[in-house]
Amino acid sequence: MSAIVVDDVSKKFRLQTDRAHSVKELVTRRDRSAGTDQFWALRHVSFEIPEGSMYALVGHNGCGKSTLLRCIAGIYQPTEGSITANGRMSTLLELGAGFHPDLTGRENVYMNATILGMGRKQIDRVFDDIVEFAGVSEFIDSPVKIYSSGMYVRLGFSVAVHVDPEILIIDEVIAVGDEQFQRRCFDHLYDLRKRGTTVVVVTHGMDTVQTMCDNAIWLDHGVPQLEGPAPKVAQQYLMAVNRAEAEGDSSRQLAGGDEDDDHDDSEVPADNGGGDEPASTGDYRDRAGAPSITDAGTHWGSGEVRITAVDVLAPDGSELVNINSGSQVRIRIALESSVAVENPTVGIALHTEGGVHVTGTNTRLSNLETGVVDGAAAVEFTSDRFPLLPGSYMMSVAIEDAFSQHTYDRYDMAWRLNVRQSSDKVIHGLVDVGGEWELSGFR
Amino acid sequence: MSTPIQVWNYRTLIGNLAQRDLKSRYKKSVLGWLWSLINPAVTLAIYTVVFGVFLRAEPPVAGNGTTSSFALFLFCALVAWNFFSGTINTLIGNFQAAGGLLTRTYFPPECPMIAGLMTTGLQALLETAILLVFMVIVGNASWTFLISLPVLVLLALFSYGLGLIVGLGNVRFRDVGYLVGIALQVVFYATPIVYPITIVPEGWQALLRVNPLTHFADGMRDAFYLHTMPTAVNWLMMGGSAVISLVVGWWVFSVNAPKVIEEL
Repeated sequence: MSAIVVDDVSKKFRLQTDRAHSVKELVTRRDRSAGTDQFWALRHVSFEIPEGSMYALVGHNGCGKSTLLRCIAGIYQPTEGSITANGRMSTLLELGAGFHPDLTGRENVYMNATILGMGRKQIDRVFDDIVEFAGVSEFIDSPVKIYSSGMYVRLGFSVAVHVDPEILIIDEVIAVGDEQFQRRCFDHLYDLRKRGTTVVVVTHGMDTVQTMCDNAIWLDHGVPQLEGPAPKVAQQYLMAVNRAEAEGDSSRQLAGGDEDDDHDDSEVPADNGGGDEPASTGDYRDRAGAPSITDAGTHWGSGEVRITAVDVLAPDGSELVNINSGSQVRIRIALESSVAVENPTVGIALHTEGGVHVTGTNTRLSNLETGVVDGAAAVEFTSDRFPLLPGSYMMSVAIEDAFSQHTYDRYDMAWRLNVRQSSDKVIHGLVDVGGEWELSGFR
Repeated sequence: MSTPIQVWNYRTLIGNLAQRDLKSRYKKSVLGWLWSLINPAVTLAIYTVVFGVFLRAEPPVAGNGTTSSFALFLFCALVAWNFFSGTINTLIGNFQAAGGLLTRTYFPPECPMIAGLMTTGLQALLETAILLVFMVIVGNASWTFLISLPVLVLLALFSYGLGLIVGLGNVRFRDVGYLVGIALQVVFYATPIVYPITIVPEGWQALLRVNPLTHFADGMRDAFYLHTMPTAVNWLMMGGSAVISLVVGWWVFSVNAPKVIEEL
């Protein structure tokens, strides 16, 4: 059953400059042509949020996330389409919204909880928990204007999560508060979800999206770009951001003169040039230095099967520091499962540093039955003629269930593969497609 | 559009909003809620001196047949006026004040308006109680005091409906606030409060009777001062204006408030 159904929702706003601020303006304004100063904050957005799941809205600032959140919360009404929400909703668009500075913490807790739709008796029951969670018990009978901003925020969050909502709507508020409080927030959200609360968040923290959310939608200027499993959406969004940044970088370089750019060929895509610029790669582990699982980048998944090591090997089984373009390469993935898992899918993917997805394959797509894995195992992928052209590539490795719907363990762009020139043949682009030229009709 | 049932579900919030208004209003003041008595008392004193003493307005003889007090005659109508103008003045700012909250969380926008009406209603009840005590002291008591209850209820509905519209309008156009300030002055004198309607020339009396507030002032005077039943015309005007104001106000407000919130 879906807790929230968003059906083809569009939202139009009038720009503020367009509106008359006084009766006189309203009467005397000549140019009353509508339509010129309007913009669509949301355009044909549709998705469903299953009950008890956590859903993220992602996108850059001003992409319509908050507008969508307000529509779901009922604050805004969609211009077109409809939104149905089943369940008692608690919204947390701004922490401590509705706190009156002159009233005490206690009075404000009651005030705020009733705004969120709670009755007095219900509040009485959880009042102590609210104060406990916020850690403001000494000051609960002081006016909130003497509170530190941290206390203010903690009390606001505490109220919102203790009203025992069936649907909780959060707008980028967890980012405030200290590390310890943030952790408690996440713990609490986890508890709420276990109890079947549906959570909708707007966040810029892709870690949150990848580790905590089930599904996500990515909006760009109000238009849905991608909707689906949260890790996938987050990854695609990050890549788009990376790509945009890379484009921005290359255009800056062009503008600033290209004396330090050793690619004199303007046909070379910006993405491929990334290999020459180690500046933007700080987060990634270099392939050189033989990564073990522990020093790879962030990973996520349920953990029944874990990736324990990934090695890039030469045909003779020795570790490769640099891959020669066009030569044989073996990628060996060592796994370990804590329980018997049937038919896991093991996959790899390669991206350029700029985020362009170069290639990806897995055992399922290759029609390989993996069988049962219980304990340690290994998978090896061999490319006889590694077709990527010189440059730097990021490798992702994942273990998923038989249908690639559930992730056991996944590392995104965690290993760097440096590909070197192996012949004197010069080819532009990302891959060597091979092939021969043949002439006819020439004289 | 908010239905009365939706609003009813938020009754705890309405109560708390009203409580918050009352609590924060007199925080940090030494006399506290006494101010809510001092204000009308001073107004009453000024009007009594100016109109009763300087201008020698003649009050009719009260219901007990002996008492004749301009101050009490004035007080009856002033309670009605204070309730009306207090409600308008409160509601005109309440929607604006609640705007910050309404853009951050959902609840029916009627809630802060009803809360505002509750605070002014409480004030009106307080003033009515004082009026009652005075009437008892001067020996002008009667069962007709009970008539004031339906009169005040109808006045509340009438004021609330108008308050919704001006509160909404004030967010959209700031002119509304200034217009209402002037309108209240005009209406105050266009209602027989500081003078008996009988001193007004015949033709003008008919005009004053078009003003619903004239009938509410009459109602309060009938109940507390003259001890007579308000006339059928009085009831018709009070009831009709209350229903029209409430229905139109509620409709205009609940249709337009969500749009206005988006532009806050």
